[in-house]
Amino acid sequence: MCYITKYNLVVRFGNKDLAKYPFLKEAFSYITKYDFKLEDLDSKDYLHLIDKAVEKIENYLFFGKYEYQINYSKTHETIVQEEVIIFLISLLLIKSISIDAVTKKFALLESMRFEKYLISDLNTADRDDKTIKLILYKIFEDLFSTKILLEVDVYNFYKIRINDYLDHPIAFQEKEWNLINRTLHNGFVYLDGNEIVRLFRNELYLLIIDRIKKKSIDRIPDTIMAISKSIKSRWEQMHPSINAPVYNAVTPPCIQHIYDQISKGENLPHPARLLLGTFLIYSNKTLEEMLELFKRLPDFDEKITRYQLEHLAGKRGNSKRYFVPSCEKIKLENLCYETKICQGISNPTQLIRKKLDI
Amino acid sequence: MTDTLSFDSNNSGKNGKHASKYQNAEPDDKNKNWLEGIFRKYYFYHYTQLELGELINEHEFGFRLFDGKIRRHLAFNDKKELYAYIIKFSPSDIFYSSSRYQSPTAEIDQKGWIGSDLIFDIDGKDLHLECAQSHNLVLCKDCSFISKGIISKCVGCNSTRLQIIDIPCARCIKSLNVEVKKLVEILNDDFGIDSEYIFVYFSGNNGYHVHVVDKNFYDASAKKRNAFAQYLMGKGYLIENLGIRRNNEGALIPMSNKILYNQGWRRRIFDSIHLSIQNHKIDDKFVKKYNRMQDANNNNIKDAINTHILDLSAKIDPNVTMDIHRIFRLAGSINSKSGLIKAFCKNLDSFNPFVDACFIGDSKVEIESKLNIKISLKGKQFSIKTGKNTLPEYVAAYMICKGIGDIQNQT
Repeated sequence: MCYITKYNLVVRFGNKDLAKYPFLKEAFSYITKYDFKLEDLDSKDYLHLIDKAVEKIENYLFFGKYEYQINYSKTHETIVQEEVIIFLISLLLIKSISIDAVTKKFALLESMRFEKYLISDLNTADRDDKTIKLILYKIFEDLFSTKILLEVDVYNFYKIRINDYLDHPIAFQEKEWNLINRTLHNGFVYLDGNEIVRLFRNELYLLIIDRIKKKSIDRIPDTIMAISKSIKSRWEQMHPSINAPVYNAVTPPCIQHIYDQISKGENLPHPARLLLGTFLIYSNKTLEEMLELFKRLPDFDEKITRYQLEHLAGKRGNSKRYFVPSCEKIKLENLCYETKICQGISNPTQLIRKKLDI
Repeated sequence: MTDTLSFDSNNSGKNGKHASKYQNAEPDDKNKNWLEGIFRKYYFYHYTQLELGELINEHEFGFRLFDGKIRRHLAFNDKKELYAYIIKFSPSDIFYSSSRYQSPTAEIDQKGWIGSDLIFDIDGKDLHLECAQSHNLVLCKDCSFISKGIISKCVGCNSTRLQIIDIPCARCIKSLNVEVKKLVEILNDDFGIDSEYIFVYFSGNNGYHVHVVDKNFYDASAKKRNAFAQYLMGKGYLIENLGIRRNNEGALIPMSNKILYNQGWRRRIFDSIHLSIQNHKIDDKFVKKYNRMQDANNNNIKDAINTHILDLSAKIDPNVTMDIHRIFRLAGSINSKSGLIKAFCKNLDSFNPFVDACFIGDSKVEIESKLNIKISLKGKQFSIKTGKNTLPEYVAAYMICKGIGDIQNQT
């Protein structure tokens, strides 16, 4: 067992790998030691970095892609400096756009990018490569207050104390992440490289949102403000505000809650998507109408969503149409927001029938 | 669940759910008065049996009195103060919180929760044992007729307002012991809780309470405790965890070469269905054996596995485990449903609740039995006939608590 204590976490990162984790304090120190100031971003010297940040954000917001290339053809120090500045510019741009849904979409895709790096590092890191391991342990312990340990005797398994594991919301959100579906042994939850990073995705996402919130809008340089305006107007053109609620008074509270989450730009767990999809199909919405709604999810992928909705509607695979889950199932998935109107029903669709009966 | 009081139990005696059978008793109700005296005598001579920790002033106490009233949100500065209260009021049941609070007497949301041991409740009636069909009794709430066995209508008046009277037998206790051992094993192996931190108590009637005193779980929220309970009960287990996936035709097939850490529920299930996994990897041998098993089960392996999960799961009441504000029967106190005490079981195999939890005196008293029944207590067998019987106090107390006998005039 390899136990990494705070003591040996104090490492010197002279490594280009740090460029992949610009949110770490150690990475940030690469720009502070050169007396970097936000006002410097108005200078032409930084234009290429601003362009790179804008390209990344546009890819995220308008195409849902998180493909991003770090330019490794420079000195280690420059690579890290540039990535930290690009990250900083991105946060400032998003802050000045000031649209919740944009912030959330950016945070989700940015956290997915970091997640991809972490998965790759965890799966390929040589056991003797202490530096990369220490970066990973540091991310987990410093940013997410979770100690991870390594089970050296059993493949690449990582382990987290049961109580710490349950501090992560994902443990209650999705079935396969519930404690019952984890491997427990001797007080620990065992996870492989992919799983440990997915566990932290939500925290990574929240961390980025927190960093954006903490930025002061008064200190954002003019160049950044000007660019953010154009991104904002493009977003608003693509996402006109919803004039009237899609549903009326008979909307079951569980569906209304999902709808509210979408309006706020929040991402939905899989069971919530299934509930919404089956409910919309039951309500005779067309595929295009449904896609219009799902489009607002930060991780929207038209091809996948189209396929899944067709599958739910019984138009693909084994032609089995999925019915709206029962209230009991919805409760088990923590998606129930029961109110008085739910009295006596066992499926949300009964509320629609109730209304039709009046 | 009546061995504990949940947050919604109020201070009045009107709550039918927790009402004592003496709720409407007249002040001169003979059974009530006699039991009250017997309980008082027990607490006067055996108060040291009450198991109390060091920080007694940080726990909430609750009492059910013989008139059916419930007193909650009480606290005591020290043991002496508590003993004086108990001897003065001679309650029918004594409860205390596993949780520690900054202000135990305050309203529930003002108490300032500090932490709580993990508590698990295993109740005999949840095991649906076959033997219970033959020895349990049913009381008709309308005509008071008592029938043997489990019935759905009163044989005397056809009423469906019936109440089951548990008369656990040695087989019931054996089955409960098996359940306790399953629970303790999962707590040991999966949760890493050493047996020295696990305390098993006979509830005083027909079940066990398992207390876990482990600092790693002391501050766990209700939500986390619910996750522990679901885990122990095997609720929501996905078959995919066993390295099996559904193919396009809907058949369950093994995922060759998949690496799976063979511990927890996975190991338990594999051991139970005799499907071994070598070196934490799904190899050819596993696949062959799995396919044979699939054939033997007519391709319905999922149901077969679910049956194993049910057998392996701990039969706990999840509401008890997750409710951090619940008050539990105090160890060493008498359970008014039997006259036996909630007793610590140092060794489950040698523990006999009908001997080791029976502390009431053995002076002879006269009791009118409502039926013919055999009762075994303190290692003695009593064949009781309908009508008047002269019996030791501990047998009389058991019968009155069960509602199958009435005390006769005492001299």
